[in-house]
Amino acid sequence: MLDYTKYLLSPAILAAHAYGLWLGGNYVWLGMAILLGVLFLDAYLPRDYSMRDQRYVRIYDVICAMTVIASFVNIFFFSWLVGQGHFATTSSSVGAFLGTLFIGFVIGAPPVHELFHREEFVLRWLGRIGQCLIYDPWREITHVVTHHMRVATPDDPDYARRGDTVYGHILRTFPGQWKEAYHLEKMMWTKRGRKWYDPRNAWVYKAATLAAFTAILYALGGFMGALLAILTLLLGPRMLLEVFNYVNHYGLISATPGRFEKHQTWNHITPMVRILALEITNHAGHHEDSYKPFYKLEPDTNGPVQPQFLLVVLLALVPPLFFMMIKPLLKHWDMHYATPQEREIARRENERAGWHELNAPDPARDLPAGIWNMTAARATA
Amino acid sequence: MIKERVATAPARADLCRITVRGKDGSEEVFDVKRNDLLLKAAIEQGVDYPHNCRVGVCGSCKTRVLSGKVSPMVDLALSPLTNEEIQAGYVLACQAKVREPLVVEAKLGRHALLPVRTVSARVVRWHRLAGDVIDLRLALDTPVHFNAGQYCTIAESGSFTRRSYSYYDVPPEEGAPAVEVGFLVKRLPGGRFSEWLFEKDRTGCKFWIEGPFGIMGVDDPDRDGLCVAGGTGLAPILSIVGDRLKKSRVARFTIVFGVRTANDVFANDRLDQLLAAYPDRVRLVTILSHEPASSAWSGPRGLVTAALGKDLGVDFGEVAAFLCGNLAMVEAVEKRLVELGVQPDRIHADKFVPSGTP
Repeated sequence: MLDYTKYLLSPAILAAHAYGLWLGGNYVWLGMAILLGVLFLDAYLPRDYSMRDQRYVRIYDVICAMTVIASFVNIFFFSWLVGQGHFATTSSSVGAFLGTLFIGFVIGAPPVHELFHREEFVLRWLGRIGQCLIYDPWREITHVVTHHMRVATPDDPDYARRGDTVYGHILRTFPGQWKEAYHLEKMMWTKRGRKWYDPRNAWVYKAATLAAFTAILYALGGFMGALLAILTLLLGPRMLLEVFNYVNHYGLISATPGRFEKHQTWNHITPMVRILALEITNHAGHHEDSYKPFYKLEPDTNGPVQPQFLLVVLLALVPPLFFMMIKPLLKHWDMHYATPQEREIARRENERAGWHELNAPDPARDLPAGIWNMTAARATA
Repeated sequence: MIKERVATAPARADLCRITVRGKDGSEEVFDVKRNDLLLKAAIEQGVDYPHNCRVGVCGSCKTRVLSGKVSPMVDLALSPLTNEEIQAGYVLACQAKVREPLVVEAKLGRHALLPVRTVSARVVRWHRLAGDVIDLRLALDTPVHFNAGQYCTIAESGSFTRRSYSYYDVPPEEGAPAVEVGFLVKRLPGGRFSEWLFEKDRTGCKFWIEGPFGIMGVDDPDRDGLCVAGGTGLAPILSIVGDRLKKSRVARFTIVFGVRTANDVFANDRLDQLLAAYPDRVRLVTILSHEPASSAWSGPRGLVTAALGKDLGVDFGEVAAFLCGNLAMVEAVEKRLVELGVQPDRIHADKFVPSGTP
């Protein structure tokens, strides 16, 4: 049963965060402290390539749906508490804001992503509604269509090329996504012979959902409650999701757009991150079949692996440090994972980024073959 | 007729049985792994499933699901299927994940598919033709097989950008692989690949090609052909006509070639060679859509559909039609040919669709 109960960690942290908010004062840091503690512990754990138990898979779905609902409760609760003037001190205000923001990213966003990929009507509906938790119901369309079809090419707005910083990526990715979302929505209403304002169009439904969500936040917390709640969602799950995209596909190359190969994404295979992120960091399996539920994803035992997730996200915020970490890994990928055609693209990408050292073999310093192999990981653990 | 292929590797429980019914009453059965893409799995087993682009753009793998469940990779409203077709249960096999055993309606071919390979090549001919077209020839580092009318994707070494082009060559005889292949590339203003190619002579540049893809030139070898080409849609037509002329002693061909003006008529040498080699069996009708009224052009004017009529001297009820050009042109020609009595099953089309990326 451990495989099933593992995923209760997310709702448990949400509950702790809500309890901390209710207690007020310095207790508002409780949820985030637990979350950071778990992630720091995770950094010292070996990679986990195990498969999940498949006997009672509905339990996973229930936990996932429960986490989305609990995330809604959390954000409504936060708005209400702000409206009540509950956070009297600077520490409690900052702690409540940062905790809601960070927990919204690590715990709130993954089940939303998981469910909007699902085929079952109710789960998918919950996933689509759940996009209010990233305050962007349009995220799904560019993700499912554009990102999954064009991953690891510059035609994917979610993709960061070699040399790109996270800040440049954020400035590029949002306009790219908006443009693509408009293009796709327009295509759908045109194909169905509808006007742009036809109430049956998907965008109308999405806009109405977002308006209703905002109205609830406002009703519960007034202007300030709604504003701060929305800010936590935009700066947390929404913005940090792009940081996640930035690191998760950084610099990898596909010479076969539309036909994903497992080596074309990074993975984060540490045990706690797998649980908290609902296996989304077990990324090759997700891209191989985006309909596959998280509990069926098979970790790629020989796939490209980055250092622990939290560390990578923090490094991404400091570009020189991120580049220092990623360059040897990219060079290793070029040498051992890229197809001959991809290697030639990588060579030009390295030149474009000014990373000429990646094109020059250096046997003394280059990472040895097999560093991402599961057996090697166990040997070093 | 029922043909059955024996599944091997995966456990039976993970397999879904696919029954493909043709409108002629034929039935073919094969198994695919649950959750695999229908078209990809069919092709990998050597099933001659109708297809072309394989990425949800051309619509050639249009399939009607009669029973069972598939999951489309993307909203079908984003595909070339019409709203009516979507509501009637059509899907694109290239985008359909198989969830359950299926009974589907599609017209399978009866030919062994050639394996898709990725090989490197070098430009050995870069020659500007009239009408902003380049004759691009590549010498292949590893020879490849292809059938007349097929296409491949090409990409310059080191570039993310890939584009699809049809071979204009006639496949070598006796099933030998080709050591060189040629393409006709039209300049598209702002197009990432064509603008790069036109910038300067690219002779010696390294390329990668992946293919062959698509099925177009397949019909009774002795059947007369009506070939309609818009612009560089002439490439697969040259390949198909050349190939069928060699395979049949009796088939005759009418090529309707549409370009904008007299100055845009390209590939004259290739067409002239064909006409000279088979004067009694090949006829060329060039039609200009934007030729100034004051010019000396005495041939037909208008869109290619204007050349398609009773006075063309073709037995529309009997010909096999091969069409290639942009999507709007091909759809208009298909409609016109059906009006003229061409059997829909004998219309073989290759639709050019812009890549969608500049």
